[in-house]
Amino acid sequence: MSGITLSYLLRRIGVLILTIWIASTLIWIIPRLTPGDPISAMVSRMIRTSGYVENSDKIIEGWKERFGLNDPLPVQYLRYLGNIARLDFGYSLAYFPTSVNQIIGQALPWTMGLLLIAVTITFLLGNFLGALMAWTKTPRLIKLLVPIGMLFTSIPSILAAIFLIYLFAFLLNLFPMRGSYEMGMQPELSLEFAASVIRHGTLPALAIVLVSFGYWALGMRGMMITIEGEDYMQLARAKGLSPFYVLYRYMVRNAILPQITAFAITIGTLVSGQVLVEYIFTYQGMGTIIFNAIGTQDFPVIQGTSFILIVMTAIAVLIIDLIYPLIDPRISYER
Amino acid sequence: MKQVFRSFSLLVVVALMLSMFAITVTAQDVAREDTVIFDIDESAVPNPQNFNYFVPGTNRNQGAHQAMWEPLFILNYESGEIQPWLGLSFTPNETQDVWTLALRDGVTWSDGVPFSADDVSFTIQLLLDDETSTLAGAADMQQWIDSIEQIDNLTVQFNLKSANPRFQLDYFSVRIWGSVVIMPKHVWEGQDPFTFTFYDQEQGWPIGTGPYTLTSANPTEFLWDRDDNWWGAAAGFHDLPVPLRLIWQITGSEENKALLMSNGMLDSAMNITPGAFEAILARNPNASAWFADLPYAWADPCPRQLSFNTTIAPWDDPTMRQAISLIIDRTQIINVAYEGTSTPSQTMFVQYGGMAPYIDAIVAAGMGISPTADVAAGQALIEAAGYAMGGSGFYEKDGAALTVDILVNNSTAEYTRTTDVIVEQLRNAGIDATSQPLTGQTWDDSVNNGNFTAAYNWDSCGSVNEPWNSMNRFTARFVVPVGERSPGGNNWVRWNTEGTAAYSAIVDQIGQLPLGDPQIVDMVVEAYSYINAETPFIPLVQASKLVPFDTTYWTGWPTAENNYNHPATWWNSTHQIILNLQKAGS
Repeated sequence: MSGITLSYLLRRIGVLILTIWIASTLIWIIPRLTPGDPISAMVSRMIRTSGYVENSDKIIEGWKERFGLNDPLPVQYLRYLGNIARLDFGYSLAYFPTSVNQIIGQALPWTMGLLLIAVTITFLLGNFLGALMAWTKTPRLIKLLVPIGMLFTSIPSILAAIFLIYLFAFLLNLFPMRGSYEMGMQPELSLEFAASVIRHGTLPALAIVLVSFGYWALGMRGMMITIEGEDYMQLARAKGLSPFYVLYRYMVRNAILPQITAFAITIGTLVSGQVLVEYIFTYQGMGTIIFNAIGTQDFPVIQGTSFILIVMTAIAVLIIDLIYPLIDPRISYER
Repeated sequence: MKQVFRSFSLLVVVALMLSMFAITVTAQDVAREDTVIFDIDESAVPNPQNFNYFVPGTNRNQGAHQAMWEPLFILNYESGEIQPWLGLSFTPNETQDVWTLALRDGVTWSDGVPFSADDVSFTIQLLLDDETSTLAGAADMQQWIDSIEQIDNLTVQFNLKSANPRFQLDYFSVRIWGSVVIMPKHVWEGQDPFTFTFYDQEQGWPIGTGPYTLTSANPTEFLWDRDDNWWGAAAGFHDLPVPLRLIWQITGSEENKALLMSNGMLDSAMNITPGAFEAILARNPNASAWFADLPYAWADPCPRQLSFNTTIAPWDDPTMRQAISLIIDRTQIINVAYEGTSTPSQTMFVQYGGMAPYIDAIVAAGMGISPTADVAAGQALIEAAGYAMGGSGFYEKDGAALTVDILVNNSTAEYTRTTDVIVEQLRNAGIDATSQPLTGQTWDDSVNNGNFTAAYNWDSCGSVNEPWNSMNRFTARFVVPVGERSPGGNNWVRWNTEGTAAYSAIVDQIGQLPLGDPQIVDMVVEAYSYINAETPFIPLVQASKLVPFDTTYWTGWPTAENNYNHPATWWNSTHQIILNLQKAGS
């Protein structure tokens, strides 16, 4: 690949593996620093439902033994490392006998589907508007509309979600208030099911887009203004190039680089979901899974979801690092 | 540039058309008028395909134990009777240590296989054989049952290790939330009870004896459709329920619940605040609750209380605990924290009709708790203990202020709001009180291991129609040193005095007497005198559950007037509610 040497590639993969190992160790240690334990948390949840659990001490001790929580910590750690090497995160402690892989497998596609689309729209829309805000030829009407739209960026996503539900679901009855697809439908490859998913995903996606496109727009605008003053911009205009050509080929192409880096990292963190948006819309994604797992100290689920998050972020950063020379020919790792 | 704008506009138009198209394809195969929608008060069910009843923590209130798994008996909170369901009778011998269960004839599982004594024996034996004692109900069954004998196809005899007059009530009658549910032997035999999920769409699993079978399950929604071959209709037990479909769904925030119910998209929600209920009423006049007016709410069986660690000075002194009880204004708690939806506790017990004889006797003996505060009397007790009011407005002794830190489970606003009111009352009376909100499991761990000074809790939970269950939880047998977890979450206040020993002896005797034995009332009064004298915990208020129903599509919901049973739609007794529902206007 142009601009990349084999030694750089190997060194970069080595760093990737080291990063994953250190981060995996941290996500094993951190949940164990909190007071309490997952089995007591499970019993606590039962008590919340039923008021009182007779013989709860026996249940707690028995399940700790079954899950190996009474083993010495080094033994637990080595077992954990062995499991993640095989991508087997074991059973959920809070939702036994369901495996962590099953729980993640059920939620991940929904989160990825919703957030990939929402974040991509946010990225494209934000950067498009950011570029227009900095461009001198932009019509005045657009320049006026953009700041109004950006008001949403100062609203927390939870409030934006409630507002959207109230307006589009409750008052106008255009979109559903909750869920990932129509009640009673079975997930299947059909136009009807796809339409239902789109319809249910519209408001959650809109809540995400509305509150976050402004960050992209502001970042893009800042970069565009910086580039505006560069000598090569003066040269391009002096050569008589069309304003749109200068905008696209000279300004946007140079300004977009840091935005792409941030986008790659954002894509890597998508698996963590959007806890509040998922909660408000009762959307069956990863955010809720992680939120529940933290609340119930479900170590395997916390570890499993965090591990995927770490790996995806690390790989996204690696990929963007490797494709930089393709995006910007000035960057090369060959030196 | 124009081209860019044109493309963008086209994109917007296509998106709008797509969403409009989507709106047209949402027809349901069961009409809303034939569907009842219930709420699940959780953020998600991450394992919707797990129906292993035996694993503690498995969700059951997503419809599984309300629509599919039927109990043997149901305790009627209103009448105090234990009503037969799958079981016809459960009778003890004279010494209360042999119980004989007679099953109803004609019951079948939803796959057509007859329900019989085989299933009962199998389920109970499976729990008795669990060497780890960790399956749901295993420790309880092992605690009491020596052996079981199958007398015939419809009769099972339970030989207990010792007399237990409450054996049926405690484990088989939905006393609180659930009960020991019988599982089908023909499905479970040979399965690993720890890992079998009891879910396989092709085989039609899960199954139960109830009038509904599972149609679909996802982390936020469970659909159950009526089984027209339900045994109950065929055997003449009850007509088929009217609703064709039941849905249990996670509805998220209270605002969402209110919007859904206002729009006729939710028929029954779990507990909500009075504010949310009044917001629903303003938009949907068909909404109703247990009471038509304030307090609206039904009292759940776990009265709230404030408990002190009786091993930590100065709260190891009963006088100091009595002072706190006198300072607390329970009426103010009701007005401020509960917005008028509850009532002050008179004793440690829940104030149901079945408990009235015991509560009345305790009150008649002069041990009832005042609903209002007597701050002066409380302060006098504190001063008698050697404290004097300091310049900071708090009592002091030997230069140290009188402080108390109250641990509170932060899982619901009810708990934290109540604690805030108590803290304010104590501070006004000269006690430097603070509250410490903790997550459920941290709170649970702290109190059970004795790492607390004071805690807001509901640990008199247990009794519903007899006094022993709640009283037994404070007996001396459960006392362990600080740092060790309290057995079964009982007596974690570590009340362990001569008074405890005397109290425990009386409570143990009560435990041997048949339910309703006339001697019990006097014995309760005598035992309660030790609680009154030493105040190991301070009863506060009754717990309130405001369970709203929408009568737009369905009527027949339980209310104080139509009180065929309580309104907890997340309990195993919900079968009764479902069978009582009628279409609105029919």
